Amino acid sequence: MKNELDPRIHRALDGELDPAALDAGERALVARLDALSRSLSAVPAGRSVAHRVMAAVRRPLATPIQRFRRWVTSPQPITVSLRPVYSLVIAVLLAALLWRTPEGPKPVLGAEEGVAQFVARFPEAHSVAVVGNFNDWRPGATPLSDDDHDGVWDARVILPAGQHEYMFVVDGERWVPDPMAGRYVDDDFGRQNAVLLVRPHRTQQ
Amino acid sequence: MTAAGEPSDAEVVAQVLAGDAEAFGVLIARYEGGLLRFAARMMGSRDAAADAVAEGLVRAYRHLGSCRDPARFRTWVYRIVANRCKSHLARRPVGDVSLDDAPPIAAPEHADEGVDRADQLERLERALAMLAPEKREAFVLKHLDGMSYEEMSAVTGARIPTLKMRVHRAREALLAALKEQS
Repeated sequence: MKNELDPRIHRALDGELDPAALDAGERALVARLDALSRSLSAVPAGRSVAHRVMAAVRRPLATPIQRFRRWVTSPQPITVSLRPVYSLVIAVLLAALLWRTPEGPKPVLGAEEGVAQFVARFPEAHSVAVVGNFNDWRPGATPLSDDDHDGVWDARVILPAGQHEYMFVVDGERWVPDPMAGRYVDDDFGRQNAVLLVRPHRTQQ
Repeated sequence: MTAAGEPSDAEVVAQVLAGDAEAFGVLIARYEGGLLRFAARMMGSRDAAADAVAEGLVRAYRHLGSCRDPARFRTWVYRIVANRCKSHLARRPVGDVSLDDAPPIAAPEHADEGVDRADQLERLERALAMLAPEKREAFVLKHLDGMSYEEMSAVTGARIPTLKMRVHRAREALLAALKEQS
């Protein structure tokens, strides 16, 4: 190989050979490669993930029954292969069914669930999501939308009744507490989470 | 390696396994910076690195009981994060090496060296990003994380002669990238 280095250079860089045993040119090359490696190591560590990790650590593990329930109630990809003639029949049946249905099904709320509305104004943002203990602090789980592009982002989410901690994630990387929240709590990492109280559906009516 | 008076990794792991989940924060504080830098060099993107490190640390917490030698928690958690990085890289389309989002390099100490050095480092970063993942991993663990070949073997599961060969080839590739420049 054209760029192959003398094995002694590698041994010196690996700390297995004293550079003093090399000649001046080889020592200069070792020093250069060492400096290059050190320059590459000067990377800022980036945004801390301690907050995300500790949120997941504090969250109790789901029981097998809860995991099964989540699997059953979450959307699963299903692939069905049909012959064209069957597809046509099914399409006609579905069209007839939808034609007779006056409006789409409304979400069914349990007695211990309520609807939370998240609203925030971020005029410069390209994306906004809400993260909290209800979605495992996963930035992609609950996006907000700004359909009329006026900078006001919102989302309505069904949540278990009770107190929830949350933050907004702007453009996928900036974690911001809700400036309009009425209450905040320390998150043990020097920041504050907004607090939301969701009332049960029955008492909202 | 811990400062005097601080609990060792093995002690903190035992504390967490005894039910003190908050103690896991000590291990995060101890290794998060190095893991983020390692993952950033592996992935070429700080966002992707943050995801891989967060997933790896949560996985480490959930499987802490299977850490057979808590005194070597560092290499164990690096192995988990390295596997997360490789798993993410494997899911990327072939040839999709993120360079636009590459981690920024440190500012030069002297302004007059700035332009040449920045150019040189950019070329090095590109060469590092273009290396095969296993060579990049070996180089980063050796030179950026300062691991011994024994520790690298514990992280990667590869044999020491194999790792030496990967590091050597990576050095030569980086040097070749600089020669092309001059």
